[in-house]
Amino acid sequence: MSMSTPSKSLKVIGDDTWKNKTEKVNAELFTLTYGAIVSQLCADYDRDFQKVNNQLYSMGYNIGVRLIEDFLARTALPRCENMVKTSEMISKCAFKIFLNMSPQVANWSPEKDTFSLILDENPLSDFVELPMDAMKQLWYSNVLSGVLKGSLEMVQLDCDVWFVSDVLKGDPQTELRIKLNKVLKDEIPIGED
Amino acid sequence: MAVQMLLVINKSGGLIYHRSLDAESDKGLNSNDYLILASILHGSFAIASQLTPKALQLSQSAAQNIDFTVPYIPYVGMPRGRRGGQDKNRSNSSLNSSQGKLGSFKGDDFFKDAFQSWNRSGVRQLCTDQFTMYIYQTMTGLKFVTVSSQGALSASHTGGSSNMHSVHVADNFLRKIYCLYSDYVMKDPFYSLEMPIKSTLFDQKVKQMMENLA
Repeated sequence: MSMSTPSKSLKVIGDDTWKNKTEKVNAELFTLTYGAIVSQLCADYDRDFQKVNNQLYSMGYNIGVRLIEDFLARTALPRCENMVKTSEMISKCAFKIFLNMSPQVANWSPEKDTFSLILDENPLSDFVELPMDAMKQLWYSNVLSGVLKGSLEMVQLDCDVWFVSDVLKGDPQTELRIKLNKVLKDEIPIGED
Repeated sequence: MAVQMLLVINKSGGLIYHRSLDAESDKGLNSNDYLILASILHGSFAIASQLTPKALQLSQSAAQNIDFTVPYIPYVGMPRGRRGGQDKNRSNSSLNSSQGKLGSFKGDDFFKDAFQSWNRSGVRQLCTDQFTMYIYQTMTGLKFVTVSSQGALSASHTGGSSNMHSVHVADNFLRKIYCLYSDYVMKDPFYSLEMPIKSTLFDQKVKQMMENLA
């Protein structure tokens, strides 16, 4: 496989794409819009937070299957040969470009197929305090797991994505877990080898 | 490179977008014919990737030496006013800056770096004496096809490098169309995935870019 190593590191590519090639909006507008969506969902589902979680996940999924095209058109990065590369790509390029943050990659499983993203700052949950009844069940930023699931599926990586902990629930850090189930080899577009 | 036609083929081989620059070239074929043409392209693309010269199959090193880097070719398909520092009166052009904006992309061009082609063993170019066709495939399996009016066969005696140059120009152009697609098709809430593209905004931008190249 002729995978000439990219001359620039992923971090440099991510920083450059975010800085020079992407239009910006005020992050508060984004944060508040997301807040409006979640609070409306909570009202619509009569505070059944399990349903809210599922709805956020499926909304995220629908965003992810489309957002991957934006990411690829913007960066044109080659396919990742393993999950370690994928994790770097997600944290240093994807999160940087769309959310201007670089989560830490941690807690690798021995088989190198499962890892966690530690979100030190989470722009979705600025200004947020969960109400008492939501503390136990609601994953406030669950849209992110859906986005990752959907976008990884479009590049033929079948993954499970879920939240393990969230500072909003009183945990020490926000941790998002990603587990690769299978590389969908049959669906990799013909012409790449 | 003057572009005559653009096709977008989804990952299942269905035609989702078709645009010709002049109505003249649409005369012979109806929309059904274009659908069939797109599916045939999808099929022959798959067959071509299975037929690899023996030398490349035997020697891994030879296959590894093929360079799939596409150099950045400045301002392919961009309006002429943008090119090379002619933007002296930037404040003056603020009136039509919304026109000149590249959707969610910042700067005066969508990208400014060389990039890797994802299409490694499929058809990239089809030359005839009447026209040349170029195919750009994305990692998600989407195919962008363009037909250029210049027959490359007649021009090919100038040497192989100029031929490679035209492939690179086409790849640059088609990646920009991909950028437009990611903005105006993917971010359209009323577009359903894999279905024909009805977006007039996308249509306008594509037409503009094709005319800029002509």
